[in-house]
Amino acid sequence: MINESVRNKITEVTFHGTARLDPRLKLLMLIILGCVSFFINGDVPSLLLMTAVTVFVAAGSDPKWGIKMLIIYILISYLNICLKYIYIPVISLMISMFGVTVLKAMPIVTLGRWVLKSTYMDELTVALERAGMPLTVIIPFVVMFRYIPTLGIEYKLIRNTMKIRGVSDSFIKILLHPFATFEYILIPLLMRCLKVSDELAASGTTRGMERTNKRYALQEVRFGFIEYLILAFVLIFVAGLFVLEKTPAGHFVIWRLG
Amino acid sequence: MIRFKDFSFCYEGMTEDTLKNIDLEIKDGEMVLLTGRSGCGKTTLLRSINGLIPHFYPGKTNGDVLYGDESLLEMKPSDIAGKVGTVFQDPRSQFFMTDTTRELAFGCENMGYPREEIIDRIEKAVTALELEEYLNRSIFSLSSGEKQQIAIGSVYAMTPKVFVFDEPSANLDHEATSRLSGIMKKLKDSGYTIIVADHRFYYLRDLIDTAVYIENGQIVNRFSRDEFLNLDNDFRIQKGLRTSYPERDIGTIPEISSEIEASAERNLFKVDGLTFAYDKKQKLLDELSFEASSGDVIGITGHNGAGKTTLISILTGILKEQSGKVYFKGKRLSAAKKRKLSYLVMQDADYQLFTASVEEELVLGTKVSDKQMIDSVLDKLALSEFRECHPAALSGGQKQRVTIGASLIKNSEILFFDEPTSGLDYDSMIRVSSLIKELSDNGAIIFLVSHDFEFITHTCTRIFDLDVEKNGKMIELGETTLQMLAEKYFHSFKQ
Repeated sequence: MINESVRNKITEVTFHGTARLDPRLKLLMLIILGCVSFFINGDVPSLLLMTAVTVFVAAGSDPKWGIKMLIIYILISYLNICLKYIYIPVISLMISMFGVTVLKAMPIVTLGRWVLKSTYMDELTVALERAGMPLTVIIPFVVMFRYIPTLGIEYKLIRNTMKIRGVSDSFIKILLHPFATFEYILIPLLMRCLKVSDELAASGTTRGMERTNKRYALQEVRFGFIEYLILAFVLIFVAGLFVLEKTPAGHFVIWRLG
Repeated sequence: MIRFKDFSFCYEGMTEDTLKNIDLEIKDGEMVLLTGRSGCGKTTLLRSINGLIPHFYPGKTNGDVLYGDESLLEMKPSDIAGKVGTVFQDPRSQFFMTDTTRELAFGCENMGYPREEIIDRIEKAVTALELEEYLNRSIFSLSSGEKQQIAIGSVYAMTPKVFVFDEPSANLDHEATSRLSGIMKKLKDSGYTIIVADHRFYYLRDLIDTAVYIENGQIVNRFSRDEFLNLDNDFRIQKGLRTSYPERDIGTIPEISSEIEASAERNLFKVDGLTFAYDKKQKLLDELSFEASSGDVIGITGHNGAGKTTLISILTGILKEQSGKVYFKGKRLSAAKKRKLSYLVMQDADYQLFTASVEEELVLGTKVSDKQMIDSVLDKLALSEFRECHPAALSGGQKQRVTIGASLIKNSEILFFDEPTSGLDYDSMIRVSSLIKELSDNGAIIFLVSHDFEFITHTCTRIFDLDVEKNGKMIELGETTLQMLAEKYFHSFKQ
């Protein structure tokens, strides 16, 4: 007896568009665009990069996230420029440098979180395996990927108990003892991490995680024509950005007051 | 067939054998319950069946464990994977994938089955275990019980002959436990061999063929089902075993000590019209009003998601109520005041231990430096010898006592316990119960959230329930309603 509705549900995918691209391409793009973001200068090329990332993410089931990050990017750019008009020695410079770093990291964070959310873990495993990575590298990588979303939940629980214990429970206390606060959060978090990773490994081991045979994911994983095409586009786009940087348009200042 | 032949095991770095000369034969299709006090070696026994011993947990073995004619000790865990399937205690930490469908597929993918076969196998597991409604969900949206069903499904899809369960009921409420029982019945009826280690076993009473009692790493008794269910009560308690019939063995509800009852200054804790909702349509807690005074030990029961944790979070000042008022000694409490007054002992002590020694832990967040007071607290909780120890090096029960100790130092007048007995044997449960009794005799007001019916009826002076009315109302149970609730909870396990 074949139950069609169950089968359809099993093969259903919740992500669409660019989110269905091969995980290898996603990771490759994260690395390439991440580096470019730090090496490229000028308002126009940087904004173009951020916009491109937004469009890419929006085409992959998460338009809200992409647009939100783009708006934040524009806001920070403006705020950063405001600093030039309110000059406080040293502090202005520090904040402005911090702002620039945040701006450079924005495309990476936007793309990174999207990769994390839109990639099925089994496809990631299979893709990395096909790329020739050994199991000893893949397993910790996948476990890390898996653990990141849990961190937020664990953090909240720890903060709650700290509040009840009266430990770093107010803004002033955190400001006065930043390192102690950090320690009080980190220690339980590490303890949990150790415990969870041990149990997770045991559970994985009993389900054949260490087997070295070839694996197949629930959906086919293939670095196909579309992936190569998009990769080519990305490379052309990046080259274009660097060319643009050298032209007068690259020096155009977008962010200014008045 | 699984056969232990004079099997002994010693974990690396330990001096004493954890398992000693085990001789045990488990027939195909048999369902065996392993029981005994915490640390008796149940889990170690399971680990020697599923291949974690000696490969994942190294150590010295003696004798042999056979699966058919093959030695399990010589097989790699990756070879045992399709033969013996394991469901672990904590459903939170056995998920590799972030969505349920892929978690079901995880084992099959590791086995290297082609796509079509993986889909076939998941379909079979989903149909057999009735998991269709959980497909394609994020694992973060599932309750513990639902997570566990997925974990069982993931193992089922690999079609092992033997199922191993390690304390499967420890994190489940009654409803989930009875569903687990239903799933186990299906597995048994389909001819799988099932080996379960658990402290609470009332839900297995219609299913097991054999019960094995382990003490200090040795098999001391082997009971048939009838013998085991009809054990003499005194003998059962002496062996540290939980009851098979919680609805029959309802404890006598403890009295508030007459001393406190008589004293004029009973601190009054009053909740008036407390309401909370996560979304506008459905109120989770609706106009709760109740009073409590020192000496009260109040149990709060209800299924997962009924609002127990939310209620505690509000009363401890972590969450803010949307309407309603909370008073203590006639004064209205703000969230900050609530946090100052109260203390929460969480289910998982790991979240609550921040420092490098037990002593530091006790005084953290307070201004106490009174050596005598610290000494007396350490003494009371049998922790004196661990004073300088790192809290992480302690056992689960000791960690729990450290967090209780911190509440004594903080001198909290209202104490909250969240599932303090999950995964505890009878002795430890009684220890926690009497510790709570002592705290309440000293004048504290105590609230405890628990699924553990046996524990609640032995410990609480009053019981509130969030389930009976269902719509966010809470009612106090009298003796007869308690009986009725017991009937409802344990009805499905009737003979």
